[in-house]
Amino acid sequence: MVAKRVPEAGDVLQGTLDMLILRTLVMGPAHGHTIAHAIESTSENALEIEQGSLYPALHRLEDRGLVSSEWGVSENNRKAKFYQLTGKGRKELNAATGRWRRMTRAISLILGESFD
Amino acid sequence: MNLRRFRDRGRKDEDLAEEIASHLAHEEDDNAARGLTPEEARRQARVSFGNPRVVRERVWRYRSLPWIEDAWRDLRFALRGLRKTPGFTIIAILVIAVGIGVNTAVFSVINTVLLKPLTYPDPQALVELRNTSAQGSFPGANIPKFNIWHQQTGIFQQVAAYDSGGAGMNITGGDHPEQVQGMHVSADYFAMFGAPVVTGRTFSAEEDSPHGGRVTVLSYGLWKSRFGANPNVVGSTIQLDGEPYLIVGVIGRNFVTDVPVDLWVPFQFDLNSQDMAHYFTVAARLRPDVTLPQVNAQLRLAADQYRRAYGQNSLPPGGGFGVVSLQESTIGDTRFPLLVLLGAVGFVLLIACANVANLLLARASARKREFATRAALGAGRGQIIRQLLIESLTLSLSGGVLGLIVGFLGVRVLLSVNPGNIPRIGEDGSAVSLDLNVLLFTLGVSILTGILFGLVPAISASRPNLIATLNENGSRAGLGFRSGKFRSALVVGEIGSALVLVIGAALLIRTFMKLQAVDLGFATHNVISMAMSVSGDRFQKTAPVTQVIHDGTERVLAVPGVLGVGVTNCLPMAGGFGMVFDVVGRAKGNSPFTGGAGFYSISWRYFDALKIPLLRGREFTEQDDAAAPEVVIINEAMARRFWPKGDPLKDRIQIGPGAGPAFAEGPRQVMGIVGDTHDGGPNRDPIPIMYIPLPQMPDLETALNSGVAPLWWIVRSQVDPRTLVTPITAALRDASGGLPVAHIRTMDEIEARNTARQRFNMLLLTVFGSAGLLMAAIGIYGVMSYSVQQRTQELGVRMALGAQASNLRNMVIRQGMVFTLIGVGVGVGGAFWLTRFLAGFLFGVKTWDPIAFVATPLLLSVVALCAIWIPAKKATRVDPMAALRLE
Repeated sequence: MVAKRVPEAGDVLQGTLDMLILRTLVMGPAHGHTIAHAIESTSENALEIEQGSLYPALHRLEDRGLVSSEWGVSENNRKAKFYQLTGKGRKELNAATGRWRRMTRAISLILGESFD
Repeated sequence: MNLRRFRDRGRKDEDLAEEIASHLAHEEDDNAARGLTPEEARRQARVSFGNPRVVRERVWRYRSLPWIEDAWRDLRFALRGLRKTPGFTIIAILVIAVGIGVNTAVFSVINTVLLKPLTYPDPQALVELRNTSAQGSFPGANIPKFNIWHQQTGIFQQVAAYDSGGAGMNITGGDHPEQVQGMHVSADYFAMFGAPVVTGRTFSAEEDSPHGGRVTVLSYGLWKSRFGANPNVVGSTIQLDGEPYLIVGVIGRNFVTDVPVDLWVPFQFDLNSQDMAHYFTVAARLRPDVTLPQVNAQLRLAADQYRRAYGQNSLPPGGGFGVVSLQESTIGDTRFPLLVLLGAVGFVLLIACANVANLLLARASARKREFATRAALGAGRGQIIRQLLIESLTLSLSGGVLGLIVGFLGVRVLLSVNPGNIPRIGEDGSAVSLDLNVLLFTLGVSILTGILFGLVPAISASRPNLIATLNENGSRAGLGFRSGKFRSALVVGEIGSALVLVIGAALLIRTFMKLQAVDLGFATHNVISMAMSVSGDRFQKTAPVTQVIHDGTERVLAVPGVLGVGVTNCLPMAGGFGMVFDVVGRAKGNSPFTGGAGFYSISWRYFDALKIPLLRGREFTEQDDAAAPEVVIINEAMARRFWPKGDPLKDRIQIGPGAGPAFAEGPRQVMGIVGDTHDGGPNRDPIPIMYIPLPQMPDLETALNSGVAPLWWIVRSQVDPRTLVTPITAALRDASGGLPVAHIRTMDEIEARNTARQRFNMLLLTVFGSAGLLMAAIGIYGVMSYSVQQRTQELGVRMALGAQASNLRNMVIRQGMVFTLIGVGVGVGGAFWLTRFLAGFLFGVKTWDPIAFVATPLLLSVVALCAIWIPAKKATRVDPMAALRLE
């Protein structure tokens, strides 16, 4: 018998979060803490995510083969796990970005705002 | 789905924990750099991260299949619960095992007989050729029909003729002459059935033509037993009926024939033959692209052609040719009896389910507090139902595994009782085996059973009244009115189903008793029969056969203890020949003949050997030989049917008019009338029979007869004839120049074999009925005991207020008997409707036989009363003080 899964906060934005993570990693390998802050700052703190919710997303991406990971030493001289975009991840990012652009454009048209 | 994510969950979780620690450390570093105190830095890092445990759980859950894990947890929980109540668990599993076991046993027979395809390559293309008429379709062919069918190459790839090896053949030339089962086949037989050839080859077309020489193909079994599987046997000869036969090949072990065959010899038909006698079967392999309408259209043309060649009367009016799939033909009329059997075991399973459902309901009511507690702690209804269903599925699957064993053993027991000619099950049912079909069936039935008996108890348990239950200080309160009613309904259903089975069993028992009471019209006690094959060249004329009969009769009569000896070409109750006849000088009307009757050729002492009484005229004597005037004796049924007025002894009859040259003979004077015999078995009315003296058979008929039927010797003795087999067979060997005998059976055995199917059906239904009755008794006992236990307090109050023990007992008995009587009503109604399916199995008993419909409900009520008595007795022993103190 399949139990009904309780929808988790952030599920809706999951695809978006995945895209943001991939986008961040275009700049080069980074560990979780860096990624969290990068997303926060580049979005001018408009997207407030609980830092912890980053990790399920990261692990899902890794299982899907979109990112790869490796333990290394951080700028603070601490042990940290570094994530890196794979070829597959790069392709997925392009596709996701395209989807996102089309969708926001469609929404803008509906809302009657000029699209620039 | 990406399976990578399910691997190494433990290691990945540790990794994640370390990663989270690293994240928090970095955040702390940042916060400290902003000038916060270490404590504050740590606190804020944690706040902005959120709960690390939740993060880990989310990742863990994403890497799992939640329902499998939940099911696994429920399963462990169920096993723990079942282990804690071993009594309940064992009884439930046993009841299910019996229910599933009998179903597995019966299904494995059905699977073998009805479902498995024939073992030949591309079996769907194999058909049996039939003669069709308004009455139905019948197998059997003569040479002219075979010839015409053989020419239909547009629809048939191969057409082959074969017989059932009725005559037997003698392997001679060694120290021990041995009678073996030889099958006559036409050349295409092996190719049509795709028979595997171990060594050598099969018959060529030339070898299957007249004067094709003496050749034979050996079966694997004979090759192994007689020749030690020597591959050089091909090209050597084997002595059959005193003649050397060239062995041309050996057929593989896996080749299955309807009757066991030791060797094959070619028919060597003369295709120009006008012989009208039907003595073999024809099958064909359809061309891959033809449709049934095409086949039928083509066979209509063939029937017209046959009529043009052999006369309008050569086929019955409106009759013709047709085909039926070989599988259907092999299954014959066993489909319906097997399905009825499946229906009966279905009832057993239903009763078993009702029984276990009842046990589960009782168990659930004892666990009410447990469920209420779980519900109060947040378990959803779905979760409780799922957990209980997993519990019942655990029970039913365990029962199923045990049932598989019960079924596997059961089917051996089932088939060790002679089932009476069920086709395709092999010798003693050796072909019935466990295969994937049976395993899937048992698995399916187990799951279905588990859901069937588990669902209602689960649903009713998932609907607890939390506050009421938790406030009670025990698990004493009943499961409520609803499930109480449901349990009563279950018990009523159980009793009704059991009654249907028992009434069915009673009808079959009555049938069997009626069959046993039938006077067969001939002696079966201390009478033995044996077959002597006379298939060789030596017996192509009547005189040498007469000589063997004369010498054999004298020598066997000289054996001490022997009272009578007779010889016949048809053994009573073992199938015989029929023939048309004319009454000389009588107008025939529209029909081409006066009629048809059984046609026996017998020695002059035959009637004495079987104690068949002479009613009028005289018996045959040894003087009724080839030189004497031709005579015939008829039985009473024939006299009644064809001489309703008038005296048969004044008439002459012409046997086999137009039946071909083999049966050309003069008219015969009717010399006597003998008593009727039930030759088709006790459940068939006696048929008209005409008997002629064996010495008066035409030579050509003897030649034909010797090829298809043995001489049956029938010996009646003072003592058990089985003790005389050695001297009798020795006497026969001496008298015949070394011919062996086979198929030695007493007439009692043959009679038992004739009623084997009825006996089989009766035994099975009796076993199923008894099982059903027992389970129903357990069921009502369970419900009444439970009810008494639930009402302990009420009974105590009644007693305290002065009720007598007998009042209380009668009250319980009354309640139990109400259930029983409602069940009996349901059962009688159901049986009244269902016994119509048994009509074909009954003999001398109506489907609404009053004895069965009165006696069995009484029996069942008595059994139920015994089962109710125990809890009723218990009700009288309630201690009022103890009962009231429970409050």
